[in-house]
Amino acid sequence: MATVEERVIAVTSSVLQIDPSEIKKESVFSTDLGAESVQSVELVAMFEEEFDIEMEEDAALSVENVGDAIEFITKVCKEQGVNA
Amino acid sequence: MRLILLDLPGPGRQNFYPLSLSRPIFELRCGMSSLAEKMAAKLAATDLAGFIPPYLAEVFRETSDLPVNDPAKLTGDDLMLVDGRVIAESFDTPTVGPSRVACDEEGRLLFARIAQADLAKLKTDSIEALVESAVATLPKAGAAPATWNYTWDLVLANPEQLTKDFATAGQCGIEGTIEEPAGMRGSKSDVYVAPGALIHPMVVIDAAEGPVYIDADAEIHPFTRIEGPCYVGKKSILLGAKCREGNSIGPMCRVGGEVEESIIHGYSNKYHDGFLGHAYVGEWVNLGALTTNSDLKNDYSSVSVVLDGKRPIDTGSTKVGALIGDHTKTSIGTLFNTGAYVGAMTLIAATGKPLPKFIPSFAWFLEGVVTKGFGKRKLYETAITAMSRRGRQWTPAQEAMWDEIFAITAEPRKAAVKKGRRAMASHRKG
Repeated sequence: MATVEERVIAVTSSVLQIDPSEIKKESVFSTDLGAESVQSVELVAMFEEEFDIEMEEDAALSVENVGDAIEFITKVCKEQGVNA
Repeated sequence: MRLILLDLPGPGRQNFYPLSLSRPIFELRCGMSSLAEKMAAKLAATDLAGFIPPYLAEVFRETSDLPVNDPAKLTGDDLMLVDGRVIAESFDTPTVGPSRVACDEEGRLLFARIAQADLAKLKTDSIEALVESAVATLPKAGAAPATWNYTWDLVLANPEQLTKDFATAGQCGIEGTIEEPAGMRGSKSDVYVAPGALIHPMVVIDAAEGPVYIDADAEIHPFTRIEGPCYVGKKSILLGAKCREGNSIGPMCRVGGEVEESIIHGYSNKYHDGFLGHAYVGEWVNLGALTTNSDLKNDYSSVSVVLDGKRPIDTGSTKVGALIGDHTKTSIGTLFNTGAYVGAMTLIAATGKPLPKFIPSFAWFLEGVVTKGFGKRKLYETAITAMSRRGRQWTPAQEAMWDEIFAITAEPRKAAVKKGRRAMASHRKG
């Protein structure tokens, strides 16, 4: 089974149309990966769909880079009893 | 006699969503005034009080002189309790004489005339206790009064109600300013322009088929055509509008484009071109340029409306437009389906296609689907900005009320967001 990191990168790659090899843990969604504001909403939605979790919008949208997203999603999965 | 207007919590309130999410049902408008004003006028009541869902009470107190949810108002005088849904015009119960009650088919109280002498036999420590004891012990009235059952009932009755309200107001003539050249059709006795109202040149007021009432300090810009019956509220501005028959426009609105048989509460904007027909629009709504609603299906069949996100309700009418809750904003080019339900505090970024028939409150409609968007805090920030532009304040009470509405409307929103996520994911895979 893919890790949380691999799944976050796969979703990010799909939404932002970027090659997975270009996505690093320290990549900032907006400046490094070019995510526009509507795409950040789409990223949150697609992470929720991928992991079958519900994320609080303000907290989710305040996550800036890929590493923080992995950490945040791992935490939410744990809180919501989802095996990730 | 004290008139007590009722809008008690219960399943019937949903029939007036999204408008009743943020106001008592008796504050809804039809014709030139609210349902509460009509009932007070009908009963010639000067002593009034109301009982409304607790989450609405504090905001209501900030904006109205009507005392609400005060149990002290349940004693000390003869009482006439009347549900806000009762149609004032057809309410012919005497305000004197013996006590009696009437309920609807579901057993909800529609009215109770309670003589002061009988109050001692009833429980008066809360409105719920009083209603329960009145229904249980007082004699039943012969027939239940007629009621408004859904928001679209008000829209459909609006043209006729406007004509009646104009006659009741008993005002006609030009007390404001009409700049020439002006076009006037119909009888001058069917037109009233209140003091301070300003009609620019090249405006047509057509009262041939119904009266036109332009309230104080309203401003009508050139090339506007106002067809009666119509009411334009205080300080509202019409901007080259094709204002067809049957419109009630509340105070401080900005209205352009084509509008027909619609009710618009105060402080809302439909500045630009685009058609709004048989619609009911709340407060602080902004409809972007070219926002248009369908109010007639291509096969001329009756329009259905989805109030809860699940079950369509047949309105029985071939003409029903959009129901739009307070603080909702639409982007340019938004296309609403026939009988669309558009929740309160919703933000719509259109895609060019007709939107779903049900858009829940606090939804962000982006990329063709309902999303959580940027959350309710961002919507509040927009509301604060919009209100401050008109010199109005967003108060802690309002925030508490909207937080409660956010909770009340969570279930259909969650379902719509989930559906939107799936659609987004399948679009990506496809």
